[in-house]
Amino acid sequence: MTVHEEGENVGLHRFALFTACCTVFLIFVGGLVTSTESGLSVPDWPTTYGWNMFTFPLSKWVGGIFYEHGHRLVASFVGFLTVILAIWTWLKEKRRWVRWLGVGALATVIFQGVLGGLTVLFLLPAPISTLHACLAQTFFCLTISMALFTSPGWKRGLPLIKSQAESIPLQTLCATTTAAIYLQLILGALMRHTNAGLAIPDFPLAFGRIIPPFTSDKVVIHFAHRMGALIVAGMIVWTFSRIARFYSDYRLLYRPALTMVVLVGLQLTLGALTVWTAKAVTPTTAHVATGALVLGTSLLLTLRAYGMVVVKMPANFRGAL
Amino acid sequence: MHKRMLFVFSSILVLVLAVSCGGGEPKNELPPGGAAPSAGGPAAPAATATVSGKIAFEGTPPPNEKVQMSSDPYCNVHAKDYPTLETVKVSDGGLENVIVYINNVPNATYPTPTEPVEIDQENCHYRPHVFTMQTNQPLKIKNSDMTLHNIHAWAEKNPQYNVGQPVKDMVNETKFANEEVPLPVRCDVHKWMGAFIGVFHHPYHTVSKGGGAYELKLPAGKYEVVAWHEKFGKQTQMVDVMDNGKAELNFTFKPDSKPTD
Repeated sequence: MTVHEEGENVGLHRFALFTACCTVFLIFVGGLVTSTESGLSVPDWPTTYGWNMFTFPLSKWVGGIFYEHGHRLVASFVGFLTVILAIWTWLKEKRRWVRWLGVGALATVIFQGVLGGLTVLFLLPAPISTLHACLAQTFFCLTISMALFTSPGWKRGLPLIKSQAESIPLQTLCATTTAAIYLQLILGALMRHTNAGLAIPDFPLAFGRIIPPFTSDKVVIHFAHRMGALIVAGMIVWTFSRIARFYSDYRLLYRPALTMVVLVGLQLTLGALTVWTAKAVTPTTAHVATGALVLGTSLLLTLRAYGMVVVKMPANFRGAL
Repeated sequence: MHKRMLFVFSSILVLVLAVSCGGGEPKNELPPGGAAPSAGGPAAPAATATVSGKIAFEGTPPPNEKVQMSSDPYCNVHAKDYPTLETVKVSDGGLENVIVYINNVPNATYPTPTEPVEIDQENCHYRPHVFTMQTNQPLKIKNSDMTLHNIHAWAEKNPQYNVGQPVKDMVNETKFANEEVPLPVRCDVHKWMGAFIGVFHHPYHTVSKGGGAYELKLPAGKYEVVAWHEKFGKQTQMVDVMDNGKAELNFTFKPDSKPTD
């Protein structure tokens, strides 16, 4: 049996972790709504065909309603988890900034719910739908941060590592990679909600060329997303190479870096499949969820890099692996 | 401090639950209709001439896409007689569901019919599949099915319209203030359900029926007649008719006719 130090509150950490896992599932379910074009199959909100959404009969979950109403219920569940997480953190957490992070997560999930309702009531306008998709990723990042900051390892203090004095510090590299992934997810959401997913119908070429003719905004958005994928893949490989070269002994860095490389490989494959299958539901939705996982992993790596790598060692340097 | 924050959390939780739990029973509400157009111009001329003909289909009609209805057990049972989409419907060599109308409409004020046009959701299909109506004419939307439908008008020149009909025999009514051809209608619950509306500010329009037959009542004059089909697009021809005169005008669509609009 693991013995935990006082104040570690493993339960809170596990609950935050559970919330983060449920959020990935929620992103997948939300992706299904768009992939199956079911977003307007329930035309009212917050009610469902006039019913209280929690009493809507199971027998009526037919066709597109299954996806849209299911998404609303999973979202409500995650919202409920976030309420508990925020209250629990506020009551038990000693670090003020973590308590406020919990409040931030709660505010974000409420705003996200309202955006989801608005996008239905206004019949899926691209700006609101895109914002809804991006805020989902932001909320996921918040839950991951909560899970990390409440973890016993983080509270005890991560092992410190001396920086290898690279021209671009590892923390900066990781943060830039995370930012690039987030921008790429914004482009992906924009592409999805402006219906530009098949604006370029072939892959790896674009209309049989390397650079497509920019005949419409949709082609521009789609091509930007492809270019973004190349940049993100390059950034991830660069980050992994740096960690493999200088920090491979530190599992807390090496594991997420390796995971990120595997995930981005999967993500590129799913992106290609999305085009080749003309946006079949499974690869398209998996592409959305894997994108979130890539972002989450990169954020985790970035936060750990900031917590571990130091340019100048403090006097009480522990030097643990 | 903790108590105060606990109070804030509790208030937020109550607020969220109150919002999400709104409603109790589905209501049958009539949505607001479109605004009436401004009147102007001379009175509508008498439509004494008749233009009629056939929308012929030459060649083998392409097969309609098969429909997968297993996502709704009701539709799976009740729509067995309609295993495909209704995109191409050919009978006696004629193409049905073609909207026929004129382009150069005489400048006049056309009264808005008060009699509603009706679209029904029956056996998980729209009845009729294609129809025409006038701007601001009431459109009665009915659900004859024991399952839920949402009727979603994907309008571009009118405000989009999307309402749910969870209860059998539920009726809603709406109007479209602006001309729009075609105005697609879709059920987002049952993806195969689609219909097309032609909305005109005048009464000179119709839809081809069995055998591709159509008939237009027009005032005397020279007109550009348009025939529009959801898959094969648009064709136009000129016709000249006298008062009380009759003219025959036939159109021919082929399998390789491409949509032009």
